[in-house]
Amino acid sequence: MNWSPSSPDDGVSRRSFLAAGAAGAAVTTSGCIDRVRRVVEQAGDNQLSLSITTLPADADRQNVQIARRLETNLEKVGIDVSLDMRSPSELLKAVLLDHEFDLYIGRHPADYDPDFLYDALHSTFATERGWQNPFGFANMYFDTLLEEQRRLDGEQRKQRLGSVLHGLAQEKPFEPICFPDERRVARTDGFEGWDEGTLPTRHGYLGLEGDGRLHALVTDSRMTGNLNPLSATARERDTTIDLLYDSLLSERNGDLVPWLAESVEWSATPDDDATDEQSDANADGERRTVSITLREDCRFHDGEPLTASDVAFTYRFLEDTSLGRAPESPAPRYRGQVEMVDSVTAEDDRRLTISLRGEKPAGQRALTVPILPKHVWQDLIDQQASDGEFSAPQGRWAAATGDHIPPIGSGPYRFESHSEDEQVVLERYEDHFTLRETVDLGEPVPGGIRFTVDPGSTSSIRRVDDGGADLTASMLNAHSLGAIPDTPNVRQLSSPHRTFYYVGFNVRNAPLSNPHFRRAITQLIDKETIVDEVFYDHATPTATPVTDDWVPATLEWGGEDPVTPFVGSNGRLNVEAAKSAFETAGFRYDDNGRLLGGY
Amino acid sequence: MLAEVLTQVALVIGILLPISVLVFIGRERLVRTRAEWRDRLRTNAPVIAVLLVVLLINRVARQTAPELSRKVGVHLTATFYNVEGEFILLFKSVETPELTAYFASVYVFGYTFLLIFPVIAYFMLSDTRTFRRLLAAYALNYAIGLVLYILIIAYGPRNVMPAELTERMLYDTNPQYQYLTREVNANTNVFPSLHTSLSATVAAFASMTRSAYPKWFPIAVVLAASVAISTMYLGIHWGIDVAAGLVLAAACVVLSDKLVGRWSLSDLFGDRFEGLSDRLPRLRREE
Repeated sequence: MNWSPSSPDDGVSRRSFLAAGAAGAAVTTSGCIDRVRRVVEQAGDNQLSLSITTLPADADRQNVQIARRLETNLEKVGIDVSLDMRSPSELLKAVLLDHEFDLYIGRHPADYDPDFLYDALHSTFATERGWQNPFGFANMYFDTLLEEQRRLDGEQRKQRLGSVLHGLAQEKPFEPICFPDERRVARTDGFEGWDEGTLPTRHGYLGLEGDGRLHALVTDSRMTGNLNPLSATARERDTTIDLLYDSLLSERNGDLVPWLAESVEWSATPDDDATDEQSDANADGERRTVSITLREDCRFHDGEPLTASDVAFTYRFLEDTSLGRAPESPAPRYRGQVEMVDSVTAEDDRRLTISLRGEKPAGQRALTVPILPKHVWQDLIDQQASDGEFSAPQGRWAAATGDHIPPIGSGPYRFESHSEDEQVVLERYEDHFTLRETVDLGEPVPGGIRFTVDPGSTSSIRRVDDGGADLTASMLNAHSLGAIPDTPNVRQLSSPHRTFYYVGFNVRNAPLSNPHFRRAITQLIDKETIVDEVFYDHATPTATPVTDDWVPATLEWGGEDPVTPFVGSNGRLNVEAAKSAFETAGFRYDDNGRLLGGY
Repeated sequence: MLAEVLTQVALVIGILLPISVLVFIGRERLVRTRAEWRDRLRTNAPVIAVLLVVLLINRVARQTAPELSRKVGVHLTATFYNVEGEFILLFKSVETPELTAYFASVYVFGYTFLLIFPVIAYFMLSDTRTFRRLLAAYALNYAIGLVLYILIIAYGPRNVMPAELTERMLYDTNPQYQYLTREVNANTNVFPSLHTSLSATVAAFASMTRSAYPKWFPIAVVLAASVAISTMYLGIHWGIDVAAGLVLAAACVVLSDKLVGRWSLSDLFGDRFEGLSDRLPRLRREE
């Protein structure tokens, strides 16, 4: 931890930070045999062994190539490595819910605002199950910065986030590798008006000009069998859920537009507890509140009216899916966003007041979660609880694991039918507010959307070219981009970088609990060569999980990682130098060059 | 897209079969079969039923087995990869577009033909035992294969080494075929290679019947060997899967000899079944 906080006035002394670090990033959870076995092994002179959880090439062609490159280099430095290949939902289950992994390769959905780092890194989530902090990372200094950035705006916030990013580059609970180019292809003869930047969001499917049914291809079949907005394992990104559900605000090309909310008024009230250190007030000692008026006469797809009490219910339910009937069970998604909301008060059917734990930037992000129908989810809990014995293990009980088909939302598209592993058909929701004359927002396609599973990127491109589909809705694999034809009716669509490939570490267990060990591992990753050979240059290497203006100058990519550069050159690992990094971190080698466990 | 590929397969098989019947089976057997087919069908009915039931179970299991497999299965991708490493990359040195096209068509068309033709050829034999043994061996292959697929979860080489295999991966060179294979199998079903075991089964039978069908024997052996190699060349199976396929084939051929003719259905079901199978051809006649 040879880095110093970049802001002198952050209120946390360097000493307390060091103490927090020394206390260990690992969070002690309940004992398990596996861990006991590891500890025993490492006490002896056994070779250190790690597993890398990865996806089959069918699901993500780049993922396994990154994993194998890392595997090769780990073996060169004397570590015994095994690849643990899982299907996409099984990988997420192992990592997010079961925490059964050492290292894994993933593509993080990220978000339009760096506040997603709060969800990913805050220590209160380290023992939870879901997308929140799957690494088990806990560091008091990070917590403070992550909370502060929520209470700030503008330059001050950016500075705090810069400190988080610097800390991240040093501590490495996960290591970002690159931002893949996000490309799709679409036909222009059936539909026009493609807005390439918004295709990962609901806005990509609104305002298209064309009469028929939009036929979109997806490479991932999970959505054909699970449309549960709470599921941790059924998807990385929320695109489909955003078509079926509305949120108060909606992100479009980085800006937030009022969505289910007709008007949003931000105000500040003096906070009584402003002197308290745990205060949620902003820098001026005020508490942010938002007064929201919902659009008139909105209804869920089953005809029930959507009111302010559904909004209040949503935030309460996501915070504790058992609604107080069992030990607290927060949803395995949207965790950081819900945490940002202090209280929701329904004034009447359409008006509500939301009290936030911070400033506008992070507050807005909290208002983008899908609004759920109270009558549907309350029923589900009542049913589950009716047999007397009700337990709701986080992320692993019916509310989060059910397929939730048919889904009842209020979004611009309504579920029509599905056939597992084949397709999902959504029809236009005729009552949606975007169709009103007074509302100036993109309208859903009249004929609805059919999402068909086509397992390959190359075959998907060919199918769109042949006129067999209008759009490749899934992001295309890098290797297939060369197959995009240069024909007049096919357009290539490119969205800005947001999701990133990364290596996640399970910092709960030794030796991965040791940041020096993690740093030595990240120096085995040759990001430049990965981008060149695995992504065919259709990606941008990175040292940090954010893009554009959010990247601090000192963390900008300058041909190599500015903090932990690859040990080697031209794609070749300098084995001796790499090994000495492990030795400096306190690890030993035996005579056969095998890295031994223990310090 | 699936319909397109299916039509293609049907077309190729539809051309190959009549030609092979003329070349390998000959007029004389055709004439005799025309006179005896009802009797043969009656004798063969039970084993045909068994095979159909196994195929039906296979079809149903495609929906339910993955769930069961997730619960009881063992993940072995890493083990296979650790044991044989990059063995199948051996084919890299002989890789050409022509060879890739050959193995791709052998994998899809050659294999289908290899499985269907013997069924016709052995039905044409007066001695029905070979036919019954063949179908029993098919059923055993599928049944044992299904159990192993549930118990062992493993991804094939193409899922582990996509970059090294990219020039000859079936779904890269012929993406349309993935619509077909997706209908038939899940990508975690690689151990054992049923392509190999069924082809080897056919080759073993071709060897046993080479006095009856001398010309078929060398063709079957070459085709079967090509199918086995194609599964590795195309990156679909590990060498271990192919080896296991050969063992499975041997087991099924031996077992079919032990099992066929062991039970008589008329003993088991008595007259009721006799009556039923008597009526079967008569119903046909009335049409």
